[in-house]
Amino acid sequence: MVDHVFTILSIALIIPISLFLGVMYSFLIRKLSARFQWRVGPIVRMYGDLAPVIGSTRIWQPLYDILKLFGKDALIPSTAHKRLFTWSPYLSLFFSFAAVLFIPFPGLPLLSGTPYSLIIASYLLIASILFTILGPAASGSPWGAIGARREVELFLVAELSFVASLFVVAVTKGTLVISELAGFVGSIPMMLVTALAGITMFAAMLGKLHIKPFDMPEAECEIVAGPYTEYSGKLLGTYFLAKVFVLYNMVALFIAVFLPPLSSSVLWLPLYVVAALVLIFLLAVVHVLNPRYTIAKALMWYTKIIVPLVIVGFIAAFFLRVVA
Amino acid sequence: MGLIDRARIYSPWVYHLHCGGCNGCDIETLAALAPRFDVERFGIQLVASPRHADILLATGCVPKQFIPMVKRVYNQTPDPKVVVAIGGCACGGSLFYDEDPENYAILGSPDMLIPVDVYVPGCAPKPEQIINGVVQGILKLNEKATRRSK
Repeated sequence: MVDHVFTILSIALIIPISLFLGVMYSFLIRKLSARFQWRVGPIVRMYGDLAPVIGSTRIWQPLYDILKLFGKDALIPSTAHKRLFTWSPYLSLFFSFAAVLFIPFPGLPLLSGTPYSLIIASYLLIASILFTILGPAASGSPWGAIGARREVELFLVAELSFVASLFVVAVTKGTLVISELAGFVGSIPMMLVTALAGITMFAAMLGKLHIKPFDMPEAECEIVAGPYTEYSGKLLGTYFLAKVFVLYNMVALFIAVFLPPLSSSVLWLPLYVVAALVLIFLLAVVHVLNPRYTIAKALMWYTKIIVPLVIVGFIAAFFLRVVA
Repeated sequence: MGLIDRARIYSPWVYHLHCGGCNGCDIETLAALAPRFDVERFGIQLVASPRHADILLATGCVPKQFIPMVKRVYNQTPDPKVVVAIGGCACGGSLFYDEDPENYAILGSPDMLIPVDVYVPGCAPKPEQIINGVVQGILKLNEKATRRSK
């Protein structure tokens, strides 16, 4: 009984936490990329004389963007499949939020102790991205269709590396429960295999989060806004909210699976924050340093470098299991 | 002021509606978005689809062939929206506009087709002027939104 009450309380608590962290992460990526480009970016402390008129800080800029979209009209194109077009953003948000519940946060294990929670979490994350493909594909717009097609192509390779690198860790540690993975510190060879899987997972994250060399699905100004071209108002806002949750999920999952001791107790909270900041910093650096790949180059990069690395990881993990 | 109204002032997204003209105003518009003036610090972002936009930055005079596109982009922008006309051509047609005899190719300024809220004259206006125009546009946007909610 107490357990159930604690689970419900922690679920109520994770909603503001995940939203807060997701918004923070997207703000940091924007701010850091702006600083790298010698821009100011969303301002942290507004100039004194402007503060009363336009607010004292812009740390919440990604949240303001979403809130503003909720206050605008949503136009639905006459060529769209209306039901799929309007429901896709909500389903994408639903699945990305559902995944939040299966990934532990320091002090809040949530549902991460459920059997097969690793598989459930990765399925929910994949489902969320699937609906960012289905909605635009139903929009009837050529730009939406091209964006959705690029998203599918990237999805095939990025998801493969994502799921495979998670399974390398699962095979190494012999469990499919995230909370067990999170508390498990193995021998040095196991750590090496986990580190290899961590690198491939980071590469998969780039594709899933559309970080710069892999932002061709929403290639701005090239194919208008890609999948989001026909979306407006609260439907677009819902998609952006789903993206915020996906960003939180990816960072939290990375920390839970690849930095095992960090996610078990509330005492690790400061280190969790540091790890998340380092990860976001790395994502921002990659985002700034790279140009946009063509879709063929991205596929080749994934299939020639990341997938063989994952296979090597798999073989090593299997070998470790057999020897152990 | 409600949270959504405040968010509207804090995050105006602009769409660059190039109606025609010589590109001078477009270069200045982009200069306003570039590192020196960097309007992103106030939340102003350039978006690629008119469906995401709050403010349309119209530059240049409208060639007759371009009439349907200008109307269409305006209709594609969801309410509440504001149009800011940038440059002499967008404000009054400039030297391309002729009443009698009518110019065979150029219709005139975009306000002959769509309602324009803010005019930024100049050939080409400086980035500071454009930013000022956008700020006036944001105030009008807020006015429009409150009028709509009543």
